[in-house]
Amino acid sequence: MEQSKKMTFGQWAKRMMKKNSTQTIITSIGCAVVGLLVGFVILLCINPNNAFQGILQTIQNFFAFKKAATQFKYFGLTLAKTAPLICTSLAILFAYKTGLFNIGASGQYVIGVLITCFAALAWRLPWYLCILLAMTGGAIWGGISGLLKAYFNVNEVISGIMLNWIALYLTNALFQANAGSVWDLMLAKTYKIDSSLPGFLPTLGLDELFKQPACGLGMIIAPVVAIIIFIILNKTTFGYELKATGHNRFAAEYAGMKGKRNTVITMCISGALAALAAPLFYLNGLSQWEVQATVPALGFDGISASFLGGLSPIGSIFSAYFITHIIDGGSTITSLGYSPQTAQVITSFIIYLCAFVPFVKSYIDRRFNIKEMLLTDSLPTREETQQMNSHVKKRDKRKKEQKEDK
Amino acid sequence: MDNKNNKIETNTNEYAIEMMHITKEFPGIIANDDITFQVRKGEIHALLGENGAGKSTLMSVLFGLYQPEKGEIRIDGKTVHINNPNDATNLHIGMVHQHFKLVENFTVLENIILGVEPLKELHWGEESASNSKAKAFFKKIGRFLSKTFTWGNKHITMSLDKAAASKKVMDLSKKYGLNVDINAKIENITVGMQQRTEILKMLYRDNDILIFDEPTAVLTPQEIEELMQILRNLKAEGKSIVFISHKLNETKAVADRVTVLRKGKYVGTRDVKDISKEEMCEMMVGRKVELEVIKTEAKPTNEVLRVENLICVDKIHHRNVVNGVTFNVRKGEIVCIAGIDGNGQTELIHGITGLIPLKEGKLFLNGEDISKKTIRQKNLLGISHIPEDRHKHGLVLDYSLEQNLVLQKYFLPEFSKAGFIRFKNVRGYAANLIEQFDIRSGQGPITKTRSMSGGNQQKAIVAREIDRNADLLIAVQPTRGLDVGAIEYIHSQIVAQRDNGRAILLVSLELDEVMSLSDRILVMYEGKLVGEFKCGEATAQELGLFMSGAKTAEINAVKSEGE
Repeated sequence: MEQSKKMTFGQWAKRMMKKNSTQTIITSIGCAVVGLLVGFVILLCINPNNAFQGILQTIQNFFAFKKAATQFKYFGLTLAKTAPLICTSLAILFAYKTGLFNIGASGQYVIGVLITCFAALAWRLPWYLCILLAMTGGAIWGGISGLLKAYFNVNEVISGIMLNWIALYLTNALFQANAGSVWDLMLAKTYKIDSSLPGFLPTLGLDELFKQPACGLGMIIAPVVAIIIFIILNKTTFGYELKATGHNRFAAEYAGMKGKRNTVITMCISGALAALAAPLFYLNGLSQWEVQATVPALGFDGISASFLGGLSPIGSIFSAYFITHIIDGGSTITSLGYSPQTAQVITSFIIYLCAFVPFVKSYIDRRFNIKEMLLTDSLPTREETQQMNSHVKKRDKRKKEQKEDK
Repeated sequence: MDNKNNKIETNTNEYAIEMMHITKEFPGIIANDDITFQVRKGEIHALLGENGAGKSTLMSVLFGLYQPEKGEIRIDGKTVHINNPNDATNLHIGMVHQHFKLVENFTVLENIILGVEPLKELHWGEESASNSKAKAFFKKIGRFLSKTFTWGNKHITMSLDKAAASKKVMDLSKKYGLNVDINAKIENITVGMQQRTEILKMLYRDNDILIFDEPTAVLTPQEIEELMQILRNLKAEGKSIVFISHKLNETKAVADRVTVLRKGKYVGTRDVKDISKEEMCEMMVGRKVELEVIKTEAKPTNEVLRVENLICVDKIHHRNVVNGVTFNVRKGEIVCIAGIDGNGQTELIHGITGLIPLKEGKLFLNGEDISKKTIRQKNLLGISHIPEDRHKHGLVLDYSLEQNLVLQKYFLPEFSKAGFIRFKNVRGYAANLIEQFDIRSGQGPITKTRSMSGGNQQKAIVAREIDRNADLLIAVQPTRGLDVGAIEYIHSQIVAQRDNGRAILLVSLELDEVMSLSDRILVMYEGKLVGEFKCGEATAQELGLFMSGAKTAEINAVKSEGE
């Protein structure tokens, strides 16, 4: 127990609850647990016999396998699938820090897929060029939303959603128009990118380690990018500007920051990050593009992952892993007689609840920061008194208004 | 009504409100500590105290929003338990809030009767029915509908009796001299009339105890005088009035007795005629305070800012809210723009600082044309700006104090290297400013500004802007919502900056501040400068006439050196 001599456990707990990091961790875990419980209830409703087994398998994922070697192999697979989600989650949170909601991450990812596949299959470019081109494409796609937002005041959510569909149909069309080089007519999907192509990501021996060909550089790129984003946001003047704009764009404008330019740059970077997910998914043979009727969920799962990770780039690494883990585990419950749709409903519920983290956190923050005065050793000064009163005044103003409305 | 008459006859108690030994605690803080507050019948009782002294909490207890831990409340000598605002309303306690609670697109009359509408029976076609059989039938239906729907909403089976309502309101308005146009919409009437509407609202509900929460904050001097007269009329009619304020002039002018609170504690109750303003202030703040700003005569020299024929439009209606304004500000003088809120002062300042684009006109800073410069260029050339709304423009509330203190400086080599912030320098700089300007906060430089008090937030902004050593300091309502101690401090800082050879452009809605601080006063009315006065040249009354547009003068607000 880390409690100091002066404080009781209760006081220590209260002090911890005031901290931003503790709040994030507790709410994230709490939301994940509630999500699992809801999933369990749904399984109970559909088929009570296998419900417990079902939710257990969802949590266990690869641990359900008996052999340690198999477990390790599928652990590697989950890790490889985590990398793209880390990227989209970073895309969402980077835009979010500037006060933009990049719901177009899916579309930027799809553009990334389009360029990745063409670069690797048709043009046979090496992997680093594939990544670079994909990110450029994503940046342009995101930049369109950014330009519209900055100069024509078009809401980035609206333009993002529309661009998602444009990207989707563009990709479907362009792939099918290039049968032979990119599109496999027989299987009705893109050719698999395997190790014979220069576009295949270096494996760095990780495929040997996990006995899983999909493991490789991608697993390392994503966390490294997360750390770079962390540094940009927290250590640079650029990050300082972006966050100031996100928190209060009026104050940022007042301070002379270039809001419009920053909006465009943010959306470009966000788009590039979302598009980076594509090479990490396609350049190791994990996935092939089939004609799709809906926008891929990866961008939307990124929203949950970034919220669950407390909008911290480092947190995103773990939350993205958790969500991939649940999606993978959830897909196995079809073996218990549940339909694939049920499996998706369960995982979707868990992911959905993960996105509630910020709201729960702000509630906890409000609760514990009112009570924080209890912990101060000295008597409250006049300033603290005022501060208290402003809290309370706001609350009773709200109450009063509610009551008067009635 | 019967009930009310009975009360007056049977009760001979001296006090309308007695709040005895009220203690109200919030976790970790005692907002009201053993406060006794007694209001005599038919008197105007001022409740005086700085921000956070516990005035609002005390009134919230009286209004039933909080339950006190200790103490009892007596109304007309009877102990009562007020658990919610409805109880307060039933006891005929009414309150005019600082920010009016009116429906903008309703008429005055509709706002007054809202919630207590007089109703009359709705007749379900009984009159128009041809024979007695049909009449009986309609009556039956009517009764059935009444029974069925009344639990949900009585308005379904009753109709609004507007004639009765309007008659009652007109009577009240005549009786108390409350001049309102009952059919005008709230959005089209003046703030003064809105306030009279609020007062009528209380009177319409037969309230005997009227609470006014800082009622003069939004009024012109003439309107304030009018309000004082209304308060006296109400008093003459036997109403008991609680007047919450931190302004000493008004308290002195209108109140019979005054109760002072400080830091949640009861300081004392005095007869207003026996106590001077200075004494009241000392009771309120706990130490002697200089009410008058001490300053020497201005010795203006070079022109720093020159504004020529400036025109700005507002964002929504594209009207010329600043319509051809010309003036200058010289080194070593405080030029103040006075006026009622919403006459273009905000846009004028935003235009000068670059927050909104100029439609026409030119700006010169030290002779250099800056009309086309960006905000950052203007900042670097020497404009610093204490903004009107410290939460909207002045601070990033979710940033820490140190981050806010370098808001316009973070990119300078002092604080950044190759795009990376030099945290050590930022911390050191912040610590210096915090010490120099006595900014108090829980955790020093890393305190989130959101958790700081208003006074200290403002101090942080003032510190940041003054420390930028710009030639021109623009201060817009620098003391809004602050208590006497903080106001004194900020005023002294502004005067010190003037004496240091800065040019200062002040915008204020508080006439006291305008009169005491400025060397030159420019009055703005509907986007134009309509009057110009030297320090001590005009009375508040005269300024008020210019501010309300009753008087205008040809002015030449550009002054040359040493004039």
